Amino acid sequence: MAKPHSDGNGGEQTAWRAVKERFFASGSAAAVLAACSELAERSVLAAYQQHLAPVLPQGLALAAVGGFGRRELYPHSDVDLLVVLGRAQTGPLKEGLSSFLRVLWDGGFRVSHSVRTVRECLELRDDNTELTISLLDRRFLAGDRLVYAQMDEGLPQLLRSHRRRLTEQLCRLARSRHAKYQGTIFHLEPNVKDSPGGLRDLHLLEWLDQLREDPLVRSAWLEELGSAREFLARLRCFLHFRSGRDDNVLSFDAQEEFAHTGFGRACSTEEWMRQYYLHARAVFGSAVRAMELGERRSSSLLGEFFAWRSRLATADFSVSRESVLLRSPQRIFHEPEIVLRLFRFVALHGLKLAWETERRIQEALGAIERHYSHRGPHWPALLEVLAMSHAGSALAAMNATGVLGAVFPEWRRIECLVVRDFYHRYTVDEHTLRAIQALDELMATADGNRTWLAGLATEIERADLLRFALLFHDVGKGEAGGCHIERSLELVEAVMERIQLPLIERRLVRWLIARHLDLSAAMTSRDLDDPATARFLAERVETLERLKYLTLITYADISAVNPGAMTPWRLELLRRLYLTAHHELNRELATCRIEVAASDDPERSEFLEGLPVRYVRVHAEEEIDRHLELARRCRERGVAVELVRRDGVHLVTVVARDRPFLFASIAGALAGFGMNILKAEAYTNRRGFAVDNFVFEDPARTLELNPSEAGRLCLTLERVILGKVRARDLLQSRPKRIRPSRASRIEPRVAFDSGASENATLIEIVAEDRPGLLYDLARTISEAGCNIEVVLIDTKAHKAIDVFYVTFEGGKLGAAQQETLRRALIEAARPDS
Amino acid sequence: MKKIEAVIQPFKLEEVKAALIGIGVDGMTVLEVRGHGRQKGHKEVYRGQEYVVDLLPKVKLELVVPDARADEVIRTLIRSARTGKIGDGKIFVSEIAEAIRIRNEDRGEAAL
Repeated sequence: MAKPHSDGNGGEQTAWRAVKERFFASGSAAAVLAACSELAERSVLAAYQQHLAPVLPQGLALAAVGGFGRRELYPHSDVDLLVVLGRAQTGPLKEGLSSFLRVLWDGGFRVSHSVRTVRECLELRDDNTELTISLLDRRFLAGDRLVYAQMDEGLPQLLRSHRRRLTEQLCRLARSRHAKYQGTIFHLEPNVKDSPGGLRDLHLLEWLDQLREDPLVRSAWLEELGSAREFLARLRCFLHFRSGRDDNVLSFDAQEEFAHTGFGRACSTEEWMRQYYLHARAVFGSAVRAMELGERRSSSLLGEFFAWRSRLATADFSVSRESVLLRSPQRIFHEPEIVLRLFRFVALHGLKLAWETERRIQEALGAIERHYSHRGPHWPALLEVLAMSHAGSALAAMNATGVLGAVFPEWRRIECLVVRDFYHRYTVDEHTLRAIQALDELMATADGNRTWLAGLATEIERADLLRFALLFHDVGKGEAGGCHIERSLELVEAVMERIQLPLIERRLVRWLIARHLDLSAAMTSRDLDDPATARFLAERVETLERLKYLTLITYADISAVNPGAMTPWRLELLRRLYLTAHHELNRELATCRIEVAASDDPERSEFLEGLPVRYVRVHAEEEIDRHLELARRCRERGVAVELVRRDGVHLVTVVARDRPFLFASIAGALAGFGMNILKAEAYTNRRGFAVDNFVFEDPARTLELNPSEAGRLCLTLERVILGKVRARDLLQSRPKRIRPSRASRIEPRVAFDSGASENATLIEIVAEDRPGLLYDLARTISEAGCNIEVVLIDTKAHKAIDVFYVTFEGGKLGAAQQETLRRALIEAARPDS
Repeated sequence: MKKIEAVIQPFKLEEVKAALIGIGVDGMTVLEVRGHGRQKGHKEVYRGQEYVVDLLPKVKLELVVPDARADEVIRTLIRSARTGKIGDGKIFVSEIAEAIRIRNEDRGEAAL
């Protein structure tokens, strides 16, 4: 309806004012809806008597549909009317109808009407499903009762025979409405009618209920959602009264005004917005489940049976229609840790939970929370979820079922939390989950402008830790005042302690959270062409590895602010920033050397002096102490080798006097043992001692299965380093490799940069990895008479990224020399060489 | 009235905005744009591959001011956006025939 323009005989304006006053005094929406319906009805009936009844006393019935039909008319909603005719009419009806409508419009009502014959009402065509849906809320107002009864009595038959089609149509309409709002309830300025979890979803539930075969299943949700209905209705009444029109957007201003109104309960805007999201979540959850149920019922039993026997099923879980079910639902109560295995399954296959499973989990939330509130080795199971390619959607499902809050009570601080600014579109929890999903989507992107980022995502070693850091990066926003980063760090510290995250891994998480805003701040405040910016960035990010993590977290964080936040413009700025820092970190590998103050421990000073600054950034104190011990042994025996096993890979550290072919010999010896080199770093200090680190895999598990092999490997390395054995001879019997598929082939690329350092030339090689590759490359460089000063090798997913700093007779390489070496290196890097 | 369009470096935006607000300019439109001037971009090498970067991210400000204020605004723009290096950007000034405030149909300088 709308605010009546004049006080007619019925005293509409006075009545309207009284309704509004009562609402602001009591906050009761039900009274408003009933009163508005009654006011509208009175005027409609009067207009009918005056203009329609005289024209067509028989053969015409007037029905209320939509909100008016439900007697739930909001102050400024349309008054939906249906004129039902016994048979098609022309002439006098048209004039009568226009006078009837004009009177109502002039009275201030927004009438939305349609005229249909009984026959049309009882037909279902593709272009009139909306009419049929509107008839679900029909109510007789005036006119020929016989005509109304014909329609009313024929309708159940129509609904029965088209139940399936109507259900599908309703679900389709609802899904496209949800899609307009990105399928999330967590908008900072939601539409209380149309957003997911809005009043329209409550109507959807009612309509689906009416279309259900078994009337006994009906309405279980009606009681559960009673308070949500009252809350949303109150909100919509408020919005209508506030703006004097059919306005359903809960803007920031409206939120504040509503908080001030309070309706008897004073609380902050943030607090009651949280209530809004909790209600909307309940409504949306029920709507989604009802749609699933409705669509499922409309399928054959046989299809159900085959779907059940999905090939993905395990001993614990079965899969039906892409939804996961628990095989023994009771287990979750006495074995709550099964819940993480369940979400690992979801994260691995990109499935969703069946609503029965969700329900079961929600019943077990208490048991889950008790289990995870105790300090314990929870990390390995969490890692399994976080390392999967669909981790983002699994975490979203964990949030929707309340599991995320039960496992991490810290998470609840940002649940449904509103951030009031012009850029953020979502609540903090939704922003966080979207950021993680942005990373997942990046891995599969086909967008040419993002391939460089997708490349970084495949090169990082610990996507699980990156996702973990993202999950908690804004958790400190749950508290007013102060810097949210510091608070996030305090909270994540408690989490890491409780789940027993290994100490060494906590460092990366802390660092990522502490620095997560640095790159976006630099993007808009620093001159990227200024060398000082490059130095600033390199100091901030410290290593090439961390630069990749930070670039990805920045991308994810910005992408999740709102759907249009990561513009091509921002993406280009981020790329330039990454390149600036990347080049600088490559440059300083050779140029930034450690200078030690005289007051330090002399042995330590002697060892560290002249090593790249990177050395102290990537090695912990304990590691440096161990290297010092190796240096002592090296002075006695000319070489020192140490082999350790860590996290399923092996690490060998060599300290030796530097000489030509040293690096190549070690790489060759490891390849000769069938080892697969993943990472390597080599530096030389000012005294001419080389510190070489190799991280490698042992694909044949030689070291694990034959304990004596470790000793033999170390001994062989020593002999190769001292020149007693040739690496080439060890490689004669190297195993044949299995080549990756053709699709993943990488053409070798070699780039030289003479500007990167003052006295060395940088060679960057990207090639497809294979056994012996590093030996072949290093040998080629040494055979050209060049000295290898610094080496940094990284391999991920068959791609080797190798950085060498080389000198020739103490200086840079000439142009002709570069060209010869380039050709030789490309040849050496070929997959089949 | 004059329309002043300034293409500047993104990292100068905050400084320029503060300077303009400082002299009492309260309305402006800010656009994220990409383009190049005489410097025509450059080549970048990343992992052995060359990329030609011809369109660089810039920020474009648009403001319409009364004739009497134009000089002061332009001076402020130059002072706050300049680093003295290539890529600092450009300012374009043009005549505006009319300005109308949609809400109440105010016209001319009153609508600014």
